[in-house]
Amino acid sequence: MNTVVCLKQVPDTETLIKVAGTSIATEGIKWVINPYDEFAVEEAIRQKEKMNAGKVTIVSLGPDRAIESIRTALAMGADDAVHINDGAYYDTADPYATAQVLAAAIKGLTYDAVFLGKQAIDDDAGQVPAFLGELLGLPVVTQVIKFEVSADKKTATVTREIEGGQMVVEVPLPAVFSAQKGLNEPRYASLPGIMKAKKKPVDVKNAGALGVSAGPMTVIKEMSLPPARQAGKIITGDDAKAKAAALAKALHEEVKII
Amino acid sequence: MHGPQGEVTREVFWNILSPGSYTEQILLYILALAAIGALVRALYKGGFGTRLKVIFKAQGTDVDRLDNWKSRLWYAIVDVFAHRKILREPYQGIFHFFIFYGFVALTITTAIVFFQADILYPITGIWFMKGGFYLALSLFADVFGLLCIVGVVMALYRRYSIKPAWLDEKPEDNFTLWFILAILLTGFIVEGLRIHATETNPAHPVHPYIWTSPGGYAIGFVFSWMDERSMRGLHYFMWWIHVLMALTFFVYIGYTKLMHIFMTPVNIFLRPTTPQPPIKVMPPEMFECAETFGIHKVEEYSWKDLFDQEACMRCGRCVEVCPAFNTDKPLKPRDVIQNIRTHMEQKAKFALDANGVYHILPDESYTGPSLIGDCIEKETAWACTTCMACVEACPAYILQFPKLIDLRRYLVMMESDFAPELQGVFKGMENNSNPWGIGAHLRADWAKGHDVPLMSEKGSAEYLFYVGCAGAFDDLNKRAAVALAKIFNEAGLDYAILGTEEGCCGDSAKKIGNEYIFQALATANIETFKGYGVKKIITLCPHGYTALKYDYKELGGDFEVYHYTEILDMLIKEGRIKIKEPITDLGTVTYHDSCYLGRYNQVYTQPRDILKAISTSPVVEMSSHHAKSFCCGAGGGRMWMEEHLGTRINQKRTRQALEAGAKTVCTACPFCYTMLTDGIKELELGEQLQSADIAILVARAAGIDLKPKKTEGDA
Repeated sequence: MNTVVCLKQVPDTETLIKVAGTSIATEGIKWVINPYDEFAVEEAIRQKEKMNAGKVTIVSLGPDRAIESIRTALAMGADDAVHINDGAYYDTADPYATAQVLAAAIKGLTYDAVFLGKQAIDDDAGQVPAFLGELLGLPVVTQVIKFEVSADKKTATVTREIEGGQMVVEVPLPAVFSAQKGLNEPRYASLPGIMKAKKKPVDVKNAGALGVSAGPMTVIKEMSLPPARQAGKIITGDDAKAKAAALAKALHEEVKII
Repeated sequence: MHGPQGEVTREVFWNILSPGSYTEQILLYILALAAIGALVRALYKGGFGTRLKVIFKAQGTDVDRLDNWKSRLWYAIVDVFAHRKILREPYQGIFHFFIFYGFVALTITTAIVFFQADILYPITGIWFMKGGFYLALSLFADVFGLLCIVGVVMALYRRYSIKPAWLDEKPEDNFTLWFILAILLTGFIVEGLRIHATETNPAHPVHPYIWTSPGGYAIGFVFSWMDERSMRGLHYFMWWIHVLMALTFFVYIGYTKLMHIFMTPVNIFLRPTTPQPPIKVMPPEMFECAETFGIHKVEEYSWKDLFDQEACMRCGRCVEVCPAFNTDKPLKPRDVIQNIRTHMEQKAKFALDANGVYHILPDESYTGPSLIGDCIEKETAWACTTCMACVEACPAYILQFPKLIDLRRYLVMMESDFAPELQGVFKGMENNSNPWGIGAHLRADWAKGHDVPLMSEKGSAEYLFYVGCAGAFDDLNKRAAVALAKIFNEAGLDYAILGTEEGCCGDSAKKIGNEYIFQALATANIETFKGYGVKKIITLCPHGYTALKYDYKELGGDFEVYHYTEILDMLIKEGRIKIKEPITDLGTVTYHDSCYLGRYNQVYTQPRDILKAISTSPVVEMSSHHAKSFCCGAGGGRMWMEEHLGTRINQKRTRQALEAGAKTVCTACPFCYTMLTDGIKELELGEQLQSADIAILVARAAGIDLKPKKTEGDA
């Protein structure tokens, strides 16, 4: 089974984020594979290993630095990659524009399934899987936590996570699948994997070459961090009674909740 | 006739050779030659010869073992004869001492007798074994023979009555002792029969000095009721029994653990001579060209790694001290060595061709037992805390646990086969340069409000204070970092920290087996250190201390590295830290030796001196301390792994502190501090025992406030 995995490089969850205009300041940031995309990469590799056939192709839109995350996916066991290295396009791309360029890159490939994360942990839009299904004319199954392919490789039986439970759906292939946490435990790339990844083919393209001209449908107007947490206030008093009185006063007058 | 008549001496082959006949003597020569031949055959054809073929095929790189051969030889001689390591364990040390010197003395005596009676006398007719010399030799042999019996009896008593849990029990073990005892006793019986048939006669020249054969004389009384003819008959019979047993024993050596008599001294000669801890840094260029990392088949070890197995006599001292064994985990360092030894022979069955030539088989065509899994289980490789107690205890200078780290390297780097919780640790190290995975930009937050000089602002400083991940990120240990910075400020030390430029030292990664991450972390740090022209470094953590001091050196980072206890001890002794008020409320204090400070770096006295200087409390030692200290359970990356098997190491150590009668257990290592603090909590001993870090105690005794200053922008 041939699969395509769409991958986005995002800031490490622990990294310090600073807002710069309508984006974030990128210096000092440690970049990683979007964790949900990592589940997608792992699942595609597992399917390949299970069937002992087919290949896994990574497709990623991102600037120069994205190659590191592409190589990590290749080190995990993906076979080749398409890197849409187009900084200008990337900087303004919203989920629609992203899906446009990914779809254009995927159209030329042969595949039975497209895997990607259910959302990227940076902008949290979660729209690309649906856009991609629409643009490729394929069914979309979201929030996948279990994936099985029929013996004839014509259909997939997929378990989805739904509010408070699970749902099993059957879908004809090819289709688009978005990965939810719980689908698998991504592997740690072995050292030979890392070495081999350096030599695996990466096809570098830009949006123009893919014939994509569609721009974003949305424009970011403002970006801000949540307000810094205020220091707590210690209620003082001579005894418990005095402290209780002071607390009641503060709740009434300062916070105005009683 | 062997020996002059009427002199103070003894007739060699008395009662054995008939006058004018040499039958028995010639028979003895033939048998002795046969025994030598059998021993050689045993070595060549037996397990030893097979293993030697594997040793010759070893692929791993090894260091020069013949450098300074004179000092190596001298060290080995002193070690063997002074029992430097063997006597560390009094009971088994003493009985080995007795047996060893019994063997030495009796071998010397036999050699002298042989030279006198079989070489010198037949050729020249000179007989020097007489008079005072003869009597001295007689006494010498008897006394050491008796001591040897005492040693063997002590060893038998241990095997049958004391029965320590760590002692190996093979049929060979008990048999060997009975065998030696039988040889010694028959020797004394032969001597006793001769004395009572000859020297007890007042006319005999030796009669006045009969006390110089105390053993033989005493044992001879058992037979003194016999007439001379019966004595002679029995003597002849017992002589043959003794000779045949002694010659059989000689061959027996070649098949048993007694080979250690020859192999252990060789291994002592070959011992590592650098102060370097026993785990080698992998050559960095390997990562560019090698196809496999770590070890998964036995030939990938170095020849010395494999020779180690020859020196092991299964004494079990390594098992006795192993924290994993002592908490019911599937690891006995001795068995690691012995299993590799057996595995070498098993593998040879597949690898030897019809001509007896050893071929290293490719993985695909080898179907026999595997090194990882069959020979050494994965759980065994992962149970090790790298505490080095086994290496320290081993009288044969065998490196037990490093062989497990090689297996971990294979499992981690080739197979990505490790405890699931380690993935986050590796990613944390890769992305944020700390095993907790906390944002790297938060590394210097502990220092806020404490006036800690930054290298980037100061430009240079005499000392770099390398805080390490625990001091920078772990709430419990941040206080130790603050304490040290404030003490350095108070003492006027010219120092600075790297702040967010600092990276993880990589020790945990290295010991887990992820050498790739270790070297990435180490080279990044070395570059930063060199960028500031750093020469001297103070570390908070003994793990960073060891990594920076030794491992970084192998990667081109040569720095003068100190642990904070060395610096604080110096500052206190120089009077640069003023103890304003010695601490009085600690109760009885005990100091827990960190493995990486003690065994790895021999820092034992400084922490204890500091405690004496800053507190009025009595200091007691736990049941295991100094070089025999018991690990807290966090070394070797075990800090980051769940402890699923057996009982918890930290709890065992916590109980030892309690049993020593301590109210406060002091540490100088953030991992130890965490593990013992957790141990006290887990065992609900908060009322009886508290843990304390030495840096924090010093700050307290020096009257230093650890609270941060309120600064603007600080919420």
